[in-house]
Amino acid sequence: MSNFIAGYLPLFDLYCLHVGLALSQFIVLRAGVFSLATAAFAGIGAYTAGILAVDLGAHPVLGVLCGTLMGMLVAMVLSIPLARLRGVYQAIATVAFIQICLSLNIYSESITGGAMGLNNIPKTVGTGTLFVFAALATYMIWAIEKGRLGRAFNTIRQDEAVAASLGISIRKHQMLAFAISGALAGLFGSLEAYHSYAIDPRQFGFHLLITVLSYVIFGGRNSVIGPLAGAAFLIILPELARPLAENRMVIYGIMLILVINFMPKGVADTAIDAIKARRLTAKRGDSA
Amino acid sequence: MTSLKLTNLSKRFGGVVASEDVNIEVPTGKIIGLIGPNGAGKTTIVNMITGMLPVSGGTIHVGDTDITHAPAHEICRAGLARTFQNIRLLGEASVLDNVMIGFHRHETSSTLASLLGLPASARETKALKARTMELLAAFDLTEFSDYPAGGLSYGHQRKVEMARAVATNPNFVLLDEPIAGMNDVESDALADIFEGFAQDGKGVLLIEHNVRFVAKLCSYVYVLDGGKLISEGTPDHVLSDPAVISAYLGGQDA
Ligand SMILES: Nc1ncnc2c1ncn2[C@@H]1O[C@H](COP(=O)(O)OP(=O)(O)OP(=O)(O)O)[C@@H](O)[C@H]1O
Ligand SMILES: [Mg+2]
Repeated sequence: MSNFIAGYLPLFDLYCLHVGLALSQFIVLRAGVFSLATAAFAGIGAYTAGILAVDLGAHPVLGVLCGTLMGMLVAMVLSIPLARLRGVYQAIATVAFIQICLSLNIYSESITGGAMGLNNIPKTVGTGTLFVFAALATYMIWAIEKGRLGRAFNTIRQDEAVAASLGISIRKHQMLAFAISGALAGLFGSLEAYHSYAIDPRQFGFHLLITVLSYVIFGGRNSVIGPLAGAAFLIILPELARPLAENRMVIYGIMLILVINFMPKGVADTAIDAIKARRLTAKRGDSA
Repeated sequence: MTSLKLTNLSKRFGGVVASEDVNIEVPTGKIIGLIGPNGAGKTTIVNMITGMLPVSGGTIHVGDTDITHAPAHEICRAGLARTFQNIRLLGEASVLDNVMIGFHRHETSSTLASLLGLPASARETKALKARTMELLAAFDLTEFSDYPAGGLSYGHQRKVEMARAVATNPNFVLLDEPIAGMNDVESDALADIFEGFAQDGKGVLLIEHNVRFVAKLCSYVYVLDGGKLISEGTPDHVLSDPAVISAYLGGQDA
């Protein structure tokens, strides 16, 4: 039994890390920003923490704190030029931003280790820490959804003109969504650095972008359940059979095409909508 | 008494002059009509007032405050609310949620409270829900509160939009063809609501093609044609003005 659990622990660690990144992607989409920069912010957080740990021997708490703040800061700065763009142009600009980060990383070899990455980061973060942070991040996104910010984000995403006519500042709220997204990605990036001994630039590129985006599209973009369910499903599914695991990206691609075509709102949101609709029908039945 | 005042307001779309030297005053506590044939430039004026279209010339004041070039969300905070000619609701959100966002301007819980889910945030959400339900009752929409707004009838959707505008607690309400597509019973109910706005001390700018409806409610009416004001005055005066008859009433059978 304990062998069985130990076998799946790495998968659970991966799940906790990727839930954090999925929530980072989720929150910007929710506020109507089509940013794909989560992978870059994660890299910035991971490298900030990694460099602090390897070069300066900083305490992990300091490393994680700085990684989080750095992710947030860069995201807020990036949100200024992005505020002038919409939709697919934001997506393209953020993909370009990921590429810029990768190039800078390789170029600054003396600090970042270049293509070889950073090694010998002391492993100080275990499953327990990852789980606590994933739970806290989930709680925060859930709390946002329930309050003033969630209402404002929802309105902006669905109709910017209506939002503005109701006094909602689009620029302010989208910058806030960016700050949250950057902080979450920076946090989970730095946790990843302290969890895996070594980091390298390829980890924070196009592959991660697609993975994280898949979680949110697959699970759903409206409820916090979406990214949680999406990450769970897409991480577990390939593990069911060895050939599947070897072709993880192919599976993600196929699943995405299926979901986008047949459940464009994602699995979790479609289920939630169905439950709501059934409740309303039942209510109508009662009053009739 | 403050008023919403447009002075020599002009708008050009490339070569098209959509409004030219328009002077309109909406005092609080009054319903002011704005009529004119299709394409006269009525919606353009509302879009300029609410900051959704940049102004080409002239000024817009609320009391002494110049809002000519203010961004849309600040104009709302100056006490202006509008409805849209082509209804704009969040179609999949419930009626309750649609109206609740109208209160945004009056939300006071801090960003931190909202991020951390502190009790202040939950209290505010609960209080707003209660106020929204009151507002829905006033508009006779209580039974629809949980339904997606996009599934309601045209008339009900218009009322949801109006309730949302009222939730911002504006001093001035700009209504762009609020009874289009409604039957007489529905529009009479709305007439009562609009008179209620005026009694509450709100200024109302009512854009409407139904001349009888305008004549019944408005104390003063402006007539627009080709972007220019061609007449203004009491409904009786305006509707008997030959210029209006040839431009507006002559153009279609009202
Ligand atoms: N965004 C735009 N770009 C170019 N021209 C525009 C734009 N918006 C409006 N117009 C033009 O400005 C003029 C006034 O249009 P507007 O919608 O304000 O009229 P309206 O009085 O509201 O008409 P209706 O009664 O049909 O609603 C029209 O000739 C229209 O074609
Ligand atoms: Mg119009």
